[in-house]
Amino acid sequence: MTTKVKTAKKQKSPAMDLPRGMEVNLRLPTVMPPVPYPIETLVPKVRQQTPAVGQRATRPDGRLHGLGQTKYIDDMSFPGMLHAKIKRAGIASARIKSIDTSAAEAMPGVMAVLIGREIPVNSFGPSFQDQPLLADELVFHAGDGVAAVAAVTEQIAIEALEKIKVEYEPLPAIFDPVEAMKEGAHKVHAPNGNVYATKVVKKGDVEAGFAASHRIFEGTFRTQMVEHVPIEPHAAIATWDPNGRVTIYTSLGRITLGRADVARTLKLPINRIRLIGTIVGGNFGGKNEITQEPILALLSRKTGRSVKGVYSREEEFISSTTRHPIIMDYKTGVDKDGRILARKVRLVLDGGAYCSWSETTLGKAAILSAGPYNIENLHVEAYVVYTNKTMTGAMRGFGAPQVCFAYESHMDDIAEGLNIDPLEIRLLNAFGEGSASPTGQVLHSVVVRDTLLKAAERFGWKESR
Amino acid sequence: MKRRGRGIACMWYPIGFTVAANASAAVVKVNEDGTATLLTGTVETGQGALTVLGQIAAEELGVATDDVHVVSGDTDTTPMDTGAIASRTTYVTGNAVRLAAEKAKAILFEVAAPLLGVRADQLEARDRKIQVKAFPQRFLPIGEVANHAQLIKGQPAIGSASWNPPTVAMDPETGQGKPFNTYVYATQIAEVDVDDETGEVEVLRIVAAHDCGTAINPMLVEGQVEGGISMGIGFALQEEILFDKTTGRQLNPNLTNYIMPTSLDMPDIEVDIVDSYDPTGPFGAKGVGEPTSVPTAAAILNAIHNAVGVRIMSLPATAEKVLAAIKEKKGRQPKQISAA
Repeated sequence: MTTKVKTAKKQKSPAMDLPRGMEVNLRLPTVMPPVPYPIETLVPKVRQQTPAVGQRATRPDGRLHGLGQTKYIDDMSFPGMLHAKIKRAGIASARIKSIDTSAAEAMPGVMAVLIGREIPVNSFGPSFQDQPLLADELVFHAGDGVAAVAAVTEQIAIEALEKIKVEYEPLPAIFDPVEAMKEGAHKVHAPNGNVYATKVVKKGDVEAGFAASHRIFEGTFRTQMVEHVPIEPHAAIATWDPNGRVTIYTSLGRITLGRADVARTLKLPINRIRLIGTIVGGNFGGKNEITQEPILALLSRKTGRSVKGVYSREEEFISSTTRHPIIMDYKTGVDKDGRILARKVRLVLDGGAYCSWSETTLGKAAILSAGPYNIENLHVEAYVVYTNKTMTGAMRGFGAPQVCFAYESHMDDIAEGLNIDPLEIRLLNAFGEGSASPTGQVLHSVVVRDTLLKAAERFGWKESR
Repeated sequence: MKRRGRGIACMWYPIGFTVAANASAAVVKVNEDGTATLLTGTVETGQGALTVLGQIAAEELGVATDDVHVVSGDTDTTPMDTGAIASRTTYVTGNAVRLAAEKAKAILFEVAAPLLGVRADQLEARDRKIQVKAFPQRFLPIGEVANHAQLIKGQPAIGSASWNPPTVAMDPETGQGKPFNTYVYATQIAEVDVDDETGEVEVLRIVAAHDCGTAINPMLVEGQVEGGISMGIGFALQEEILFDKTTGRQLNPNLTNYIMPTSLDMPDIEVDIVDSYDPTGPFGAKGVGEPTSVPTAAAILNAIHNAVGVRIMSLPATAEKVLAAIKEKKGRQPKQISAA
């Protein structure tokens, strides 16, 4: 087994491709030449001016970024630190019959292996706690983790994952959200149904509005699943110290909630946990809940060492949250001038395998789906559905970019059908100060018309017609 | 042949959580020399939030941005915060920061009032001075007051506060309620070239007019808008996670086959920040993070329609999809056959 490890190391060495004699030089660690910083100087003038609000003040972390000196989690290390990797199921829906970790544990350099059953409370989630940290009984999507390894190097940890043998009993799976809503469809989280949240927004009488309409427009719009793709993947380092206090450096964007989740999953009082949010290399909504933090903490407890985990780009895609694909049915009735009299919207959100931030996304998508327009008669119904796919969650806009694509495409179709300029039809229908929103809220500091006019002026909308 | 088109899209977007409480707390400590330290539980995720929060504290204390050092992101030392989510940092955390700074400032005023021979409510903090309103000749440097407060009076200027946007729960049957305290608005207009022989779309120019209430830092607002547009372009034209329909495994979980826009794909972007002031936000500010990527795809898709007359009903509008739609449309059009 020792030989195997050595072989792997040789394969990774860049020296293999070089002529003889040059390897010696390459064994030296790469050391950056010393760079003296102009420490005394360079507080930009704008940061010294009052009043502070409205200033184009530079960021204090800007210099660090510019000099390449920002320390992200992967730049950090602690004495004796181990590296963790998570084995992914690769099967979308299955019962785990057995997990054999003995061969992995026997590998030199492997210090600990963790499976789901060892986690004190193996579930988490901001709305429903339906997500396991490591799948223990059932696999709900192909990116589910099933076991984790801590080893002295990342490479050994990766190799050890191969030695973990998991026996699966495949179960039926469902990937299409519309199919998943049907009676008799495979239940992702049986006995619960696949529709796990609904939202209704109702105002006025849509049928009467349609009856009074000059014309009715309809369309079905669809969006795809996308990833946040931050430059820095999910990363954390956990240290379980001899006093039983856990310190976790993490790329999480919201450490207060993260600390509560870690406390819950580890069954520890909150004051025994310290989360330190490092400078995050991009979040966009994808780093709003815990992922591997409790796993790393438990591996640290098993080994008495700090344990670092950094997601690969592939894990970032298959195992972290993504943006909801939405199927959006729109029906809108308008009068001769293009004024919207009634609108009916039906949204079906593909929630993937776990709820995550789907409930929030559902709510925002439903409320915003009418667009920034005065509509007296409105009926929105929205559903979010489990499927055996990568879970969808928070992502910049929480459903808004999807519904905006639908309501604004729809608006241009209406404008074209009535032969009205797209800018004019928007100005005609847009909210004003004191307008009532779809939920009946009286709106203040409403400047949607100002943005329309400003953008049109800057673009030269009228001139370029 | 390349055909040019233009498309417009506007949007509205709320600040903060839907109904649910999403509080933030903050602590502002004025040091003996009049500089200050701000403690916040939020995390810098690259958007420049800590700079904005520092500017809000500085404004309230009447000092410069550089006088405020921001400590963030440690659950042992910083107060609770709901975090960098829902475009809420400037608005919610910003309000907590302003209130905390106001409390620290009140201690400075209390200490300075007898020294200046006026009542505390007659004072204001500006340009690193505690001065008498409408009689600025009578003032003390803020550092002198802070030093006096801490070392003579034994009353260090420390303020802490929290804030949560007020909401009203939505009726489960009708959805009626007040789910958010405030909203922002925006319009983006895209200009594109569509190659009607290949279906390829090139975004040439995007004009973006955004409302964020008061722009605490216009440069960071522009940065958010540009970043949001780049995400919007990927959503509109390229990015898509594909699944194997039988196994449910992702087919392209890598940056070779999941195509994202690069700097070479970025159009000319012109940003306007629309005049707006929300009295419920810190110094009139609302937020800008998420809304910047909301209308981009809609504007681009409307521009494609304007250029070649096809309506793409599903994202992303890849070249294949656009070309197929163009071909379908051509197939439907009656041919002009000249009279023999």
